[in-house]
Amino acid sequence: MNSKKFALFVLLGFAVVPVSQAQIKHVEMRVEGMT
Amino acid sequence: MKQHLGRQSGVQSVDVRLIDGKVAIVPKEDGRIDPPQLLKAVYDSGVSVAEMDITARGTIAKDASGNLVLNMNSSQSFAIAPNELSKELESLADSPAAVTLRGQLYKKPEGKKKPKLDTSVPLKLLVLEIQKKE
Repeated sequence: MNSKKFALFVLLGFAVVPVSQAQIKHVEMRVEGMT
Repeated sequence: MKQHLGRQSGVQSVDVRLIDGKVAIVPKEDGRIDPPQLLKAVYDSGVSVAEMDITARGTIAKDASGNLVLNMNSSQSFAIAPNELSKELESLADSPAAVTLRGQLYKKPEGKKKPKLDTSVPLKLLVLEIQKKE
């Protein structure tokens, strides 16, 4: 892969990743009344 | 309760610890999980939720009233309750920078054994920890 293509790939990666990974990653609850 | 939660959309796995009443939920990869729906599912299974924490990644914006909001995608966002940590997020408002937060979405009102769950009130995220700013 030449350097121009590589630079384009990196730039696109930075543009796409923040949106695609915006999400809930973990949920934790403490519950009462469980038997 | 585990079955109730496991049937909710977006839920990958549910881990229940009977010893301390902790329930850990791992969302599917798309992260499209609905916390109010999870709260309702727990209540419908006959137990009450003392508190609910989430870890989420998204961008910070300000709504029309100037309050901070964590946006996760076009259909999901949470208003951020003001506290000391939320002040640190002010500078990120309306920027493309992503942030990973751990926060409390729900806490059972004091003094009530099993309060009626009001799903019409939007949940507010009380920031407990800013894990990552990018």
